[in-house]
Amino acid sequence: MIHIDQYAYANRLRAVHPGEKLAFAAITAGICLASPSLIGQLAILMTMAAATVAIVGIPWRFYLKLMLVPAAFLLAGIVTVAVSFSSQPDPGLHGIDLWGFAVGIRDRDFVVASSLVARSLGTVSCLYFLSLSTPMVEIIGVLKRCRVPAVLVELMTIIYRFIFVLMETTRQIHTAQVSRLGYHSLSASYRDLGQLTSCLFHRSMLKSQMLFVTLSSRCYSGEIRVLEPRRRLSLRRGLLIGGIDAVLLAVALATRGWQRW
Amino acid sequence: MVGPILEVVDVHFAYPDGTQALAGMSLTIERGSKVVFLGPNGAGKTTLFLQLNGILRPSQGVVRFDGNDLRYDRRSLMELRKNVGIVFQDPDSQIFSASVLQDISFGPFNLGMSEEEVRGRVQGALAAVGIESIADRPTHFLSLGQKKRVAIAGVLAMEPQVIIFDEPTSSLDPKTAKQLLILLDDISRDGKTVVISTHDVDIAYSWADRVYVLESGRVADAGTPQEIFLDEAMLERVDLTQPWIVDVWRELRDNGYLPPNALLPRTKSALLALIRSRLCHSFRITDLVSERAAINERG
Repeated sequence: MIHIDQYAYANRLRAVHPGEKLAFAAITAGICLASPSLIGQLAILMTMAAATVAIVGIPWRFYLKLMLVPAAFLLAGIVTVAVSFSSQPDPGLHGIDLWGFAVGIRDRDFVVASSLVARSLGTVSCLYFLSLSTPMVEIIGVLKRCRVPAVLVELMTIIYRFIFVLMETTRQIHTAQVSRLGYHSLSASYRDLGQLTSCLFHRSMLKSQMLFVTLSSRCYSGEIRVLEPRRRLSLRRGLLIGGIDAVLLAVALATRGWQRW
Repeated sequence: MVGPILEVVDVHFAYPDGTQALAGMSLTIERGSKVVFLGPNGAGKTTLFLQLNGILRPSQGVVRFDGNDLRYDRRSLMELRKNVGIVFQDPDSQIFSASVLQDISFGPFNLGMSEEEVRGRVQGALAAVGIESIADRPTHFLSLGQKKRVAIAGVLAMEPQVIIFDEPTSSLDPKTAKQLLILLDDISRDGKTVVISTHDVDIAYSWADRVYVLESGRVADAGTPQEIFLDEAMLERVDLTQPWIVDVWRELRDNGYLPPNALLPRTKSALLALIRSRLCHSFRITDLVSERAAINERG
C-alpha cells in the first residue's frame, strides 16, 4: 500500500492530467470487462502491463509481485469454477479417478475459467496503471469535477488520509503488545488481536472527534473545499489514448469467435 | 495598536464527564505580545485555548475578543475563528488531506475567498514556514517537524490576528524545535499575537513577553518571565524548575562573581556576554600559562 502510494507520487506520468490517466484506465477496463474474447483480454493485460512498466516506470519485479496479489484470490476462485466431480464415469471430464469419483476439468469450464482469469487480471492491470501513476488526491479531484456528490468526495478524502494515520496507530499498538510478549501463542494471539481491534476502534473515535474540533477551528461549516492541482489536458495524449483503446476494442471484436475448443 | 486582544473573565468550564477543567480563570492577552502558558497536564491549557477559539463555551464567565463578549452564533464564530487560529499539538489530528496544498487551502476557502486569492494565500503560507519544497509531497510521508509546519501554514494562510500553538515543540528534536521557535518569532514580528503552551521553562523564559502559570483550572501566577522565574516559592508550589539561565545567574551573583545589581539576562548569549565582561577585570589562567612558557624559553 505504502509502496503503491510512493510510486503514485513519483513516476514518469506524474505531471500528466489525472483525467487522462483515469479515462485511459476506465475505458480500457470497460473494454476488458465487456470483451467477448480471451485474446482481447490478454491484449489489454499486455498493453497495460507494458504501459505501467515502460511508460509509468514501475520496476517489473514490483509489478509482478503486485499482480500476484489478486492471482492468489483468483486461484481460489477458478478452482471452484473449473474443477468438477462426478460419481459416474464422464467422458467429457479430463482428469483422474479418485476412489470411484471422477475429478477433472470440462472443456466448457476451462474456457469459462481462463476467460475469468484473463478478464480479472486485465481489469486489475488497468487499475494498477491508474493507482501507480496517479495520487489518490488527484483521482478524487477528477471525480469531484465529474460531479460525484460532495459528501462522497469528502469522505474519500478523509478516509484516504486516515488510512495512513490508522496504519501508524496499529503499528504502534502492535509494537507495544509485542514488546510485552503479546502474540506469544495462538490463544494469546486471538486475545491480543481483539484488544488491538478494540483499542483501534476507540482511538479512531477519539481521532474523529478531534478532527471535527480541528476542522471547526479552521471555520469548517459543512463543506470541504480545497485547491486542485493545475494540469493541462493534452490533445496529443487524448488522441493516443483514443487510438490505443480503439485498437484494443478492434482486437477484442475481431477475435470474438476464436475460442472453439 | 495596544490594549488587550483577548480577555478571559472568571471562566468556569466542566467537561460532560464532570472534570472541572477551568475553575474561575481570568487573564488578559495583549495585542502583538508573545504569551507562554506553563502548567502541568490537566491544568487547563488546551481547554482554555478551545475557549479562546469558541470551540468550547464557558458555563460561567465571559471571553472577550477585541473588547467584545464572544457570541456563539454561526456568523460570530466564523468571524472569531478567522481571527484566532489554533495549531494543535498533534498535526495528524489537524491535517485532514493527503495533499499539503489541499490542507493549507482549506481555511482560506472557508473564508469565502476566490481560487486565485486562495492560491496566493497558500503560496504565502508555504513560503512563511519554509516548506515550498514539500508542497507536492503527500502528508503521510512527511516527518513530524514537517507536518507541524504544514499545520502551522494551514492556520497562517487564514491570516489570523492571534495564533495559538498547543505545545509546538513537544516530541521534536532540539534542532527542529529551535527552528520552530525561530518561526514563531518571525510570525510575532509580523505583528501577530502569538500564544504557546509548553513544559519547557527555558523556552518560556527566553521567548515570552508574558508568562501565565496555570494550576487546576486557575491562573496561579502571571508576569514577565523575570518576575515569574525569580519567585522560587511559587515555582516550587507548582512543580516548576528554574530556567538554567536564572540558575547560573543567581549562583554567580550570590557568590560575588557578579555585582548584586547585575541585570538578569534573557538569553544564553546575553548571559555569556555578561560573564565575559566580568572576566576582563581579572587575569586569565591561560595568560598566566603562556607567560610562564615564555619565561621558561628565555631561562
